[in-house]
Amino acid sequence: MTGEALFNNYPIVPHIWDEMKSSDGIRQQYYSIYETGSQLSLEQLEQKHKLAAELFMSQGITFTVYSENEGIERIFPFDIIPRIITGSEWNHIEKGIQQRIKALNLFLKDIYNEQQIIKDGIIPADLIASCPHFTREVYGIKVPFDIYVHIAGIDLIRGDDGTFYILEDNLRTPSGVSYMLENREVTKRIFPNLLADNNVRMINNYPLLLHDNLIHLAPRQNANPTVVLLTPGIYNSAYFEHTFLARQMGVQLVEGRDLLVDNQKVFMKTTAGLRQVDVIYRRIDDEFLDPLVFRPDSALGVPGLISAYRKGNVAIVNALGNGVADDKAVYAYVPDMIKYYLNEETILPNIPTYHMNNDEEREHVFKNMNKMVIKETNQSGGYGMVMGNSATEAALEKAKENILANPRGFIAQPIIQLSTVPCLIDGKLQPRHVDLRPYSLCGPNGIEVVAGGLTRVALREGSLVVNSSQGGGSKDTWVVDTPNL
Amino acid sequence: MLSRIADSLYWMHRYMERADGMLRLMKTSYILSFDKVQASGMTWEPALKIFTSLNQEEVAHLKQDNTAALKYLLLDTKNTNSLKVIITRARENARGVQDQITKEVWEQMNLIYHQINQPGIAEKLAGPDAILIIDNFINSSDQFCGITDSTMPRGQGWNYMNLGKQTERCLLTAEFTHFYFKKTGFDFKNEQDILFWRSLLLALSGYELHLKNYSNQHHNYNVAQQLLFDKNFPRSVYYALDRANKYLSDIAASNPVEGSIQLSRSFGRLYSSVKFADLELVEKEGLENYLTFVRKELNEFSRVLGRTYFSYS
Repeated sequence: MTGEALFNNYPIVPHIWDEMKSSDGIRQQYYSIYETGSQLSLEQLEQKHKLAAELFMSQGITFTVYSENEGIERIFPFDIIPRIITGSEWNHIEKGIQQRIKALNLFLKDIYNEQQIIKDGIIPADLIASCPHFTREVYGIKVPFDIYVHIAGIDLIRGDDGTFYILEDNLRTPSGVSYMLENREVTKRIFPNLLADNNVRMINNYPLLLHDNLIHLAPRQNANPTVVLLTPGIYNSAYFEHTFLARQMGVQLVEGRDLLVDNQKVFMKTTAGLRQVDVIYRRIDDEFLDPLVFRPDSALGVPGLISAYRKGNVAIVNALGNGVADDKAVYAYVPDMIKYYLNEETILPNIPTYHMNNDEEREHVFKNMNKMVIKETNQSGGYGMVMGNSATEAALEKAKENILANPRGFIAQPIIQLSTVPCLIDGKLQPRHVDLRPYSLCGPNGIEVVAGGLTRVALREGSLVVNSSQGGGSKDTWVVDTPNL
Repeated sequence: MLSRIADSLYWMHRYMERADGMLRLMKTSYILSFDKVQASGMTWEPALKIFTSLNQEEVAHLKQDNTAALKYLLLDTKNTNSLKVIITRARENARGVQDQITKEVWEQMNLIYHQINQPGIAEKLAGPDAILIIDNFINSSDQFCGITDSTMPRGQGWNYMNLGKQTERCLLTAEFTHFYFKKTGFDFKNEQDILFWRSLLLALSGYELHLKNYSNQHHNYNVAQQLLFDKNFPRSVYYALDRANKYLSDIAASNPVEGSIQLSRSFGRLYSSVKFADLELVEKEGLENYLTFVRKELNEFSRVLGRTYFSYS
């Protein structure tokens, strides 16, 4: 089959926004992909697909599945057709995300200090008190520059009318940024000319921006502070990303056992003795960070770390306790936070969210279960989700039972048909649903959102779940600047 | 440098050097196994004895069967010293220090790992491609050394890597030598012909050097001289210790921690017992005692090295 036929046979599904094609034909931002793709044969395209997979494999961008004492290396599936966002669409997204992170930072500062937002009755106290990620242990701790969210991965989706919605806020240890960067490097290899021809905005300054921000947080007055990246170790599924970022920033990659706390200061154990650590970019969840304060059975953390943090002798990125702000029930209040702290209207809308501990809303959801997605408020990664349109009767009944047992633990949202992007699957271009996770860096000099982000794609036909743990893949994401867009 | 990183770099290179030594011995064994009359009648015995913990009976059983021996040595994960296990360990170490080695070194390490895990490798070992597979591994191992040499910055990491490599190399040469001389009863007078020594020399990549530099008589003396003391032979005990001595002094100079002086002193004693020895002395002391002493001291050195620089847990 020729590439031209591939593109021309690409179907449009009614009531779903497709990023490449509308009923009027190919969208302008996809013209050059269309032209290049049309000149290639299916074999050539599949060859590129294979090459991309080999590049990931040989660089060890893999995760390991352990079974019967043997590790099997898998790559995260990558699709070669990029997802394209126009410059003007992006400018809107960027403003919306900056606004949101600004408000969320103020919220975190408030909630761990004066709690004005509760006193003023904007957010109910029991919502916060019942949030499992509200961390009393860090109440009152001052953090450098009042920044709590240094790195955010805020997930967006696009509805059937082309509107971008905020799906969820990831403010703890969002991952995937190395895939964003490596996807771009792979695209440079397989479509070398396309990037330059399309004026695609650059993304590879991410590690430099991050490093710069981290250095600024050092508590000691020191020209060359010690910044480390704390990883749970080689068995963590995101370990590749940890090494990637450490290498790109030129900082030490450490494990918990490499650090110790003495006299409320953090040190790393080197062959030349102990060396003080100023900034820790940690990729370990709060509850594993310090066995003296959180889970006593954690072997990943550093005993005494929180005491050094409280004293201000070490900066930890992201701050502890951020989970209270990306809780799925608190999510519904973010537009109110934006109004309250910034006195602005929300730029990027939320998806309507029903609280299960509100009787009226719960009744409404129970009546319309087949149009709803049920989510556990403290879960991420696509776990604890029930899709009302595809779940069995039994599963829906079970979900109702679970909700009634613990109403605060669940929210419901109307199912939004995510937008689709063409993917090369089984020798055809097929529409698959995608979301978008732009990465933002918040430092003393402001909030930077790296142009594009990670587009995650649900590779199973019709599936709306894009998480890599649930059979998702990813795509390179372009923000293109063309005069007419 | 983090103690954990130093530890991983040291062991990554010990494992890679062990893999290299093992592959060379296997290639020699494999090729010699086709000779009708074995000069030594040993075939796979050296490889199985040195690199596995099988008992006499199991060795006797395996050594007649090329494919079974190859599979056990290369792929069997029940054999804790099989190439697959060694490579996996080296890669786990490399993964833990991925940000401290160059991208090139990591990719080569990764390539070797995928090579040992390639689908259908077990079937290929049974066929005529077996030698090709061994050759490919030796190639990859050579490339690993070359890539390491041409991309790794000279510094702390480099010193620990090479200290590991030379320590392992010295141990391997001592063990190979021990094994072959045992067959002669550690008696220099019990003259063996060159065919007996050829497989040992080939396994240590020293056969050509031997033909060029040593006379065609007194093979026992000559082989011992080359493997223990030859300053130009990169796998001699002396050469490996001499290199190790350099890397250790560099490490000690930049890491003045408690115990580093004692460590240097104890290594120095071992080093001088090779540097200032000759065959006459060895013959007087007994070759077996001498080789045992070198191996024992070296293992003890590795242990104290770990205690001095790697104690992080």
